[in-house]
Amino acid sequence: MLVLAVVTQQSWASGARGAAKAALAPLEQGMMLVASGFDRVTSAVGDISMLRSDNRRLEAENQALRRQVAELSAAGQDNVALRGALDFQRSFGHRTVAAQVIGRGPDGFSRTLEIDRGSADGLRVGMIVAGGGGLVGRVRETGPHAAIVQTLADPQSRVNVFLSKSGLQGTVVGGADSLQVQIEHRLGAVASNGEWALTSGVGGGYPRGLVVGQVASVSHRDSSTTDQALVVWSNDPASISLVLVITDFMPA
Amino acid sequence: MKWPAGGLVMLGAVLVQVTWASRIEVAGAFPNIVLLAVIALTWTAGIRTGLVWACAGGLMLDLTAPGPLGPHALALLAGTYLTGFWARNLDRRNFLYPAVAAGVSTVAYSLVLVAADRMLGLPVPSMALAFQLIIAAAAYNALLMPLALLPLRRRHAFTRPEPQAQ
Repeated sequence: MLVLAVVTQQSWASGARGAAKAALAPLEQGMMLVASGFDRVTSAVGDISMLRSDNRRLEAENQALRRQVAELSAAGQDNVALRGALDFQRSFGHRTVAAQVIGRGPDGFSRTLEIDRGSADGLRVGMIVAGGGGLVGRVRETGPHAAIVQTLADPQSRVNVFLSKSGLQGTVVGGADSLQVQIEHRLGAVASNGEWALTSGVGGGYPRGLVVGQVASVSHRDSSTTDQALVVWSNDPASISLVLVITDFMPA
Repeated sequence: MKWPAGGLVMLGAVLVQVTWASRIEVAGAFPNIVLLAVIALTWTAGIRTGLVWACAGGLMLDLTAPGPLGPHALALLAGTYLTGFWARNLDRRNFLYPAVAAGVSTVAYSLVLVAADRMLGLPVPSMALAFQLIIAAAAYNALLMPLALLPLRRRHAFTRPEPQAQ
């Protein structure tokens, strides 16, 4: 198995590996449809379905509106950001490809999503993936018609951010339960709960201005050069079903 | 278990794993349906059957995970071998043993998976986080193991003698 792993890890085998992985994609897509149908059937009991649907819609609208508020306070682009909750292309001026989530990582160690778009749709490794609530992650592997996305919840994920009110900069680190951010100290500025964390663009890994999440708690230590904070991710990885892949931005 | 039936069970387990399992996440961990299926097979049909389906199920999991093919299969083989060793020496009718075996096998599976990923240069979580996830997953799988065992026991005569080791 280790030999197989080493062989299939080689760059010359990536095409065959991607094609093999894409073979399961239609089945996963079908299973996702079954799962969605099952969810609908079970929630129909006692008219819960309608209430949940309304709740989801309102939650999605609320999430999108909160994202817009964060964008407005950070960038001051009033009219641009208010034009559509999910009209990502218009809000950010990036070309995007919409993709459906057809699967999730098989274990808790690597938080990944599988989407139904691949290299044949113009996706490349490293491209940024966003959802209605903001940044989701980046493309890690591509097959012809499927791709695997490393989400922000992946423990290896790192994103440079700035906070919307204080302007402080930091780095968000992925985690199983919540995102952690290490915030650099700066005289006269203090991070506070409720601030939005947005990608800073520092390092060239992500475009500037994508919403990552909202600061939930901050712990300050004078002896440390950084403050620690917990960030509530604006996307719910368990329920996200549709994403947008930004195709005109590649990390530096 | 016959090949087509076993293949369908494994394929079904893999698909449920990558579509449904993460919806019932607790403390960062979610059940490993494929591992549970393989342990249940090992417990009812013997270690050889378990190892064969561990290999098949692991390769299917590798097809849904980032990185090369092999780490999940290797990890499942390790967990299955441990379960097989356990099943051979204990009363197989008892429901407590397979639950404990599931917990222990989950630990072995996870450690081998993390070690293989590290060896291959793939991203792995910090040790503290990995241990937290492993313990949560082990407890989760141990709780679910009796549920996975029930249908297989009905179908498979668990009193069937284990093939002799060579």
